[in-house]
Amino acid sequence: MAHNFRLLKTGFHSAVFNMGLDEAILDSVSQGLCLPTLRFYGWNPPAVSLGYFQGLQEEIDIEACKAFGIDAVRRITGGGAVFHHHEATYSIVIPLGHPLARPSIIESYRILLAGIIEGLAELGIRSEFAPINDIVSAGKKISGNAQTRKKGCVLQHGTIIIEVDVDLMFSILRVPQEKAKGKLIEDIKSRVTSIRRCLSVPDSVSFEELFSTTIAALEKGFARALDLSYVRSEPTDLELQNAERLAQEKFSNNQWTARR
Amino acid sequence: MKLELIGKPEGCKLLRMTLEVEPPLSLSSRIISLSIRGDFFAIPEEAFDEIQEELCGATIGEFAVCFDRLAQEKALEFEGISSKGLMELIQKELSHGS
Repeated sequence: MAHNFRLLKTGFHSAVFNMGLDEAILDSVSQGLCLPTLRFYGWNPPAVSLGYFQGLQEEIDIEACKAFGIDAVRRITGGGAVFHHHEATYSIVIPLGHPLARPSIIESYRILLAGIIEGLAELGIRSEFAPINDIVSAGKKISGNAQTRKKGCVLQHGTIIIEVDVDLMFSILRVPQEKAKGKLIEDIKSRVTSIRRCLSVPDSVSFEELFSTTIAALEKGFARALDLSYVRSEPTDLELQNAERLAQEKFSNNQWTARR
Repeated sequence: MKLELIGKPEGCKLLRMTLEVEPPLSLSSRIISLSIRGDFFAIPEEAFDEIQEELCGATIGEFAVCFDRLAQEKALEFEGISSKGLMELIQKELSHGS
């Protein structure tokens, strides 16, 4: 029997609201107020998100972010800094007692990332899980993911790269001193891919069109791989209120962002 | 004595460590303060924060054993970081200093 999931498509929002809404959904699912939830979203303005354990100043050039109009936010999940620009983002929240939830980090990734892999296959892109938390196509990263377990739930969120601008990405991300920046950028360019590149999509097809196509494919992919049956919905008023509160009080708060 | 350690030990993500010890750095140095950062995963995250605090007072020689014991006590699960990897960063500094 298929698993009933709530499906949310919440459009493009600021970094602090996006992280606030993911946490608000975690709260509502953990309290049994909502079904397990799959959410798709985007970022406006572009943003860089920092892993829970990363040092702000070590990873991000804050002045460059300001100059480029890029927001910076710290996630509640571990993992690395991610530049959120032309991508599709998802989050999935499942109670730990749910048949799709796994107690281990790697097994959770393996189960839940099957939805992304199936979604990419729907687009005609072959890909595979690359532990710990990536998906690669022909050996190149196309999706990065992060997760936590809190309040009796698994929260996993991640990105599917639609287009990538590595030069802009490294204008705001700091590079470990042990690696020359130029060499690193060339390395990354050779190790990262995107939906546009994999499918040789011409420039005449806009990012917005690709975003919609990608979300539609991921929706099918998750349903097929995880045997989901969707209840299409909107965030509840309570979730939106909590998301706004968390955005203002937590994710915009420098004590949270600069805690490391 | 404050040390800034960085490296990517085998099986780990890029780890950064700020370690304050009673000088000079040796296996018997006591940890005064500790901050471990990086793109690793540790769940529950708050338990990892507690472990960092509770490692203060341990000696460098006790570091790995204490880290593993505290992680077990707090049912901490981690990927991309290990006591062995962290100790490797410290050992590298120890061998540079010797």
